[in-house]
Amino acid sequence: MSTTAAAPVPIDVNGTEQVPMSRLAAVEFRKALDTRAGRWFAGSILGLCLVVLTIYAFAAPDSDKDYEDFLSIGGGVLGYFLPILVIMLVTSEASQRTGLVTFSLEPRRSRIVLAKFIAGVGLAATVMVLAAVVAVVGTVFGQLSGASPEWTVDGNLAFNGFVLANLIGIFVGFAIAMLLMNTPAAIVGYFAYSLILPIAVGFLGFLSDGFEKVAPWIEFNTAQEPLFTGDYQPTGEEWAQIAVAGTIWLIIPLVLGIQRLLRIEFK
Amino acid sequence: MITVEGLTKAYGGFKAVDDISFVCQPGRVTGFLGPNGAGKTTTMRVMVGLTPPTHGRVTIGGHLYRDIPNPGRHIGVLLDASAQHAGRTGREILSIGAKTMGLPESRVDEMLALVSLNDTEARRRLGNYSLGMQQRLGIAHALLGDPSVLILDEPANGLDPAGIRWMRTLLKGYADRGGTVFLSSHLLHEVELIADEMILIGNGRIVAQGDKTSLLAMDTNVSSLVMSLDNARLITALEQKGYTAAPEGEGLRVNCAPADVGRVALEAQVVLTDLRSGAAGLEDLFLELTSDSQRDVLTEGATA
Repeated sequence: MSTTAAAPVPIDVNGTEQVPMSRLAAVEFRKALDTRAGRWFAGSILGLCLVVLTIYAFAAPDSDKDYEDFLSIGGGVLGYFLPILVIMLVTSEASQRTGLVTFSLEPRRSRIVLAKFIAGVGLAATVMVLAAVVAVVGTVFGQLSGASPEWTVDGNLAFNGFVLANLIGIFVGFAIAMLLMNTPAAIVGYFAYSLILPIAVGFLGFLSDGFEKVAPWIEFNTAQEPLFTGDYQPTGEEWAQIAVAGTIWLIIPLVLGIQRLLRIEFK
Repeated sequence: MITVEGLTKAYGGFKAVDDISFVCQPGRVTGFLGPNGAGKTTTMRVMVGLTPPTHGRVTIGGHLYRDIPNPGRHIGVLLDASAQHAGRTGREILSIGAKTMGLPESRVDEMLALVSLNDTEARRRLGNYSLGMQQRLGIAHALLGDPSVLILDEPANGLDPAGIRWMRTLLKGYADRGGTVFLSSHLLHEVELIADEMILIGNGRIVAQGDKTSLLAMDTNVSSLVMSLDNARLITALEQKGYTAAPEGEGLRVNCAPADVGRVALEAQVVLTDLRSGAAGLEDLFLELTSDSQRDVLTEGATA
């Protein structure tokens, strides 16, 4: 392949492979954990998981100390904090200005976006596995405190309540991070979305019956509740609510966020 | 080599870079000189694809930057040494760069040794680095992939005099081996000593370019600075020959070449104690050419 512009001193790039996606993703994975903030945050999430489950092991009634109980509580703790790790991974490119280097080493930005998605999912998978291990520890503590726990895990809980709910959380983190591209703002935005919004919706639902019926269609946290409560198996209508609210709160922000990341000028 | 063709970058109505064209040749250090806000950084950002141009284009070795696979292996870039995560260690910053480019970890050690950052310093977080150390790390990062083109924005910024000399030797050696070096600075003395070729930019436009000799030749006002044991007699003798002499400092400024002054002094038998060319140096030229975009207006004679 020759270039159309007849440059007097061309650089031969034919012998150079582009950076493989696996390497980009591995680098992004490493970047999430190689800073003091990243390492401490990941450690703290697991530490918090352990503390919460230990307290639960000694405080809860013996009949509620099955492995499933510990897994769903651990999943809940993760669900709140895992997206922040992803937010830091994305927003640091602008807030810590590492984007100058990242995007001059790989100017095709969409590849970096994909690498970050892969790294984020990989990160979530790693932390989930570790949390599942912590849940084992919690269950053993429960056993020591006198309970006789069940070790079986319902597939719906494992997939819907633990894996799917956390993956959704991570992609919400991606969307908020890319839209705001600023670490503190994105973290505040995330908590506004995950803590304040459901409370506001609950309050409005309390005031008006009509709103309570509409809420799961337009508020994503409310829509996701069937994933990690009850029998962990949303009904057809509940899946539809997840899809509708998910389009509003996840798909649209994610698309806008990616567009923004592809265009923004990293200064 | 780097080719800039009719490059314009406008932000709204403001033209940060206004229709500039130039070429950086391999084997030469090209200095990009201009006051703060003249458009140097914007030009460099367009070069490496971080900022899309409004008009025109930049090719490096015949390619647009975004078309170069694994660009770190061909082009070394340092835009801002402090634009790194403050919580990452120096070594880790180089390691993730090396990993992205597909280089072995041993390359990181080589680069740390090259820029004289020792093991203890490499283990410290960037947030604790001095400006000079950040700059060294940034240069190490730019050189990681053994590129044939270097693009460095204000690389000497924050280096101590020994560090500036070190960098000068490094970049000269790099260019002598056939590399293309393009570096910017707002400090003339830095560029004057290292650059083979200079491009002067002010208000987004190129005001002059060429090597040092051809730039100095732009100054057509011939003058000399002279001191003697009897200035009054020398003035009279000079004025008889039709030259004008005006007192300047402890001596005189004359509107002719030093040789003419020497001849007049010889004939008038005045003992000279100092005689040299009074031509404006590069600094005066630089200030004059970029005067439109200088923030501080210099009054005549304020600089001795």
